[in-house]
Amino acid sequence: MLTNNTPLIQYQKFKLDNGLTVIHHFDNATQLCALNILYKVGSRNEDPHKTGFAHLFEHLMFGGSENVKEFDTQLQAAGGESNAFTSNDITNYYVTLPANNIETGFWLDSDRMLSLDFNQKSLDVQKNVVIEEFKERYLNQPYGDIWLKILPLAYKIHPYNWSTIGKEISHIENANLDQVKAFFNNYYSPDNAILVIAGNISFEETMRLCKKWFEPIPNRNAIINAYKQEPVQKEARKEHVYNDVPLDLIVMAYHMGGRQDSDYYDCDLLSDILGAGKSARFFNKLVKEKRLFSELDTYITGDADPGLFLIEGKLMKGVSFETAEAAILEELEFIKNNPVNLNEFTKVQNKTETNVLFGDMSVLNRAMKLAFAEFLGDITLVDNEIAHYLSVTPESLMKVAKNMFQEQNCSTLYYHAKK
Amino acid sequence: MSINRKIAPEFHLIESLHFPDYEILQTKNGFRIYSLRAGSQPVIRLDFIFDAGLIRQLKIAESAFAASMLSEGTKNRSALNLAESLDYYGSYFQTRSNPDDAVATLYCLEKHLENCLPLFLEAITESVFPEKELDIQKKNSIQKLLVNEKKNSYLCRKHYYKNLFGEKHPYASFSSKEDLEKTNRDSLVSFHQNHYKNGLKYLMLSGNYSEKALGQIDDLVSKIDFIAPSDTRNHLEIVSQTGKIFIEKNDSVQSAIRIGKLSIGRTHEDFRRLQFLNLIFGGYFGSRLMKNIREDKGLTYGIYSVLEPYKEAATWYIDSDINTKNRESGLAEIYKEMAVIREHKIPKTELETARNYYLGSFLRSLDGPFSLADRLKILIDYQLPNSYYPDFVSVLYNTNSSDLQELANKYLGEENIVELVVGKK
Repeated sequence: MLTNNTPLIQYQKFKLDNGLTVIHHFDNATQLCALNILYKVGSRNEDPHKTGFAHLFEHLMFGGSENVKEFDTQLQAAGGESNAFTSNDITNYYVTLPANNIETGFWLDSDRMLSLDFNQKSLDVQKNVVIEEFKERYLNQPYGDIWLKILPLAYKIHPYNWSTIGKEISHIENANLDQVKAFFNNYYSPDNAILVIAGNISFEETMRLCKKWFEPIPNRNAIINAYKQEPVQKEARKEHVYNDVPLDLIVMAYHMGGRQDSDYYDCDLLSDILGAGKSARFFNKLVKEKRLFSELDTYITGDADPGLFLIEGKLMKGVSFETAEAAILEELEFIKNNPVNLNEFTKVQNKTETNVLFGDMSVLNRAMKLAFAEFLGDITLVDNEIAHYLSVTPESLMKVAKNMFQEQNCSTLYYHAKK
Repeated sequence: MSINRKIAPEFHLIESLHFPDYEILQTKNGFRIYSLRAGSQPVIRLDFIFDAGLIRQLKIAESAFAASMLSEGTKNRSALNLAESLDYYGSYFQTRSNPDDAVATLYCLEKHLENCLPLFLEAITESVFPEKELDIQKKNSIQKLLVNEKKNSYLCRKHYYKNLFGEKHPYASFSSKEDLEKTNRDSLVSFHQNHYKNGLKYLMLSGNYSEKALGQIDDLVSKIDFIAPSDTRNHLEIVSQTGKIFIEKNDSVQSAIRIGKLSIGRTHEDFRRLQFLNLIFGGYFGSRLMKNIREDKGLTYGIYSVLEPYKEAATWYIDSDINTKNRESGLAEIYKEMAVIREHKIPKTELETARNYYLGSFLRSLDGPFSLADRLKILIDYQLPNSYYPDFVSVLYNTNSSDLQELANKYLGEENIVELVVGKK
């Protein structure tokens, strides 16, 4: 049985005068040090007519800063590596270096927080790169545009309506340098960021380097504009698309709570029970027994604001959408009305413990986890995660399922293989 | 306190790399267990390496199905029962069929090892390949294949290997719908007998565990009558079809491109230095291909070059997806970069940046237990000394621009190139 005795992630937290939050995590089992900066801006902060901008901006952060022309070259010369990702909620940058060279990371990341080298050439090139990314990942792949279709169906008001890559290529084409500057000055202010230093470096050294490199950066006082929350969905939404793909595919998206809501952990476990691995219900009932799908997966979005519980399956050739959908709904009805038995319940809890411990193996993962928990407003999550999963019961699972799996809470995408 | 931000802080060069100690133990029935302890989480990875890769198959798809069917049922347990029991203890069971071998892996927490191990061993040794489960896997694989055949990158990869190694070469084994349909239970049962039960090469344990775990493994494994593979070296004939091949896919907004040739293997004396040259050419974000074709011209989201060694052959290639309207200029830039690296010496700072980055990346890959285990497997499979990775330090410090230019002329020439383009005319 799962117990709450996983090793704790030790950390210390402080704030610099300019509002930058710093978290230090010490690990002397590694020769490396990770520097992770989370900026509290993602695609949800974008103007609906200028979408994809937070992600495009992420690319520009590698195009040189005021005092350092080549970010990556300088980092590589010190044996380091970096990358970044943009989500609906955040933009996260990370660097790993040999621990004795971590000051190079402080130098580089503080300079690009101080000021970027705003130049037209970098913007033009990265616009093209991002447009090619849009094509490679969303347009030139069978079913690559699922997200571009399902999000606007599920979200009508909230900015999760669009995907981080943006609604359309023209939004990226139209981005200009003034927007870039304004975006930087506001959202990339020290008070809108969380810095995590993790690895083989002492607290005192972390403090010294933060004061030296980050504290002189003036606070630009970020203003985060409010956006509207999604109202409760009151009608089933359905959309049919036809494309040159070999198989029919169905996506069903149910609204669930946000990352900090109490149903998050129930939804995560429900998703495991229904769709994770070879002992999951969907795989055994609908893929193997009934032969309705060749693949059928479930996942949750895990965003800060209320997210989605998704079911996505490729239909076997010759199976109709009606049959396939009815079979999914039958399984959902079952889980709404019958408590999960103890074996199955223990299974998903044990699986969660494995996932948490495997996830904590690398110092960079721990750094990202600390940053994200702090962003959510509760850094203790890094240690309480298991306790939250432990507080789930078969009864709470049933209650959450009953509440969530309702027809009027669902958006369904029928992706037809064009004959 | 005012700081001059234009001046880089001093940094230290990496002067040594350390490959941790590991033990080589022996089970009571004579199989080696490589034991590599590292990391602080109580996690375990246990690998069984079998001589059951693509090079051993008599029919296409055999090696892949034999691996993926291992978890599909034994005399006493159904596929569902196996999956439920292994999942119950929070473990992951994974099988992979590779070009040169097949690997069955158990991931679990140490406290669950004693419960997971018997199930894992039962799956890999007593699998009965039920007809019904095979039929399901075959049909699901056909559905997957239909989707893959719509992907330019898949078609590009498939035809690249077929042209480079030859239609019949196991390294170019891509199943067609007919191959999948033709797969039958009897051939899998005999493949399993010949290459799993009679094909265990060694075991590898990595993670953070006690002596007890090793004892449990020995006790159970030594009760099974595994047989080591007899050394049947393959002499696989390579029949290359070099030149330019274009595959038309008129609905594409991008073209998939792969350009490459046969290259040298891991045990060749030039190999490590060629890896370094490849890094500079297209092997990292700061490489020439990335800097020119992505970061300067914006023609692609990604472009890279790879040196890919197998036991019986090796290849070096460049891979990218390029906007259709810029395809010709993209291709021209690739060949231009190849010519430049052959004709001109690499500047000193470029060489030093790449070297420092490369040594840093070794430090990263020698950091976690599982990534260390992957490196150890290479040492074992290619019979390389323990100093192989630490020696990269001296290899890289002793390689200069003239050496690299010589290598470029030897290995990055335009002769015998296979060029694959999949996209719109």
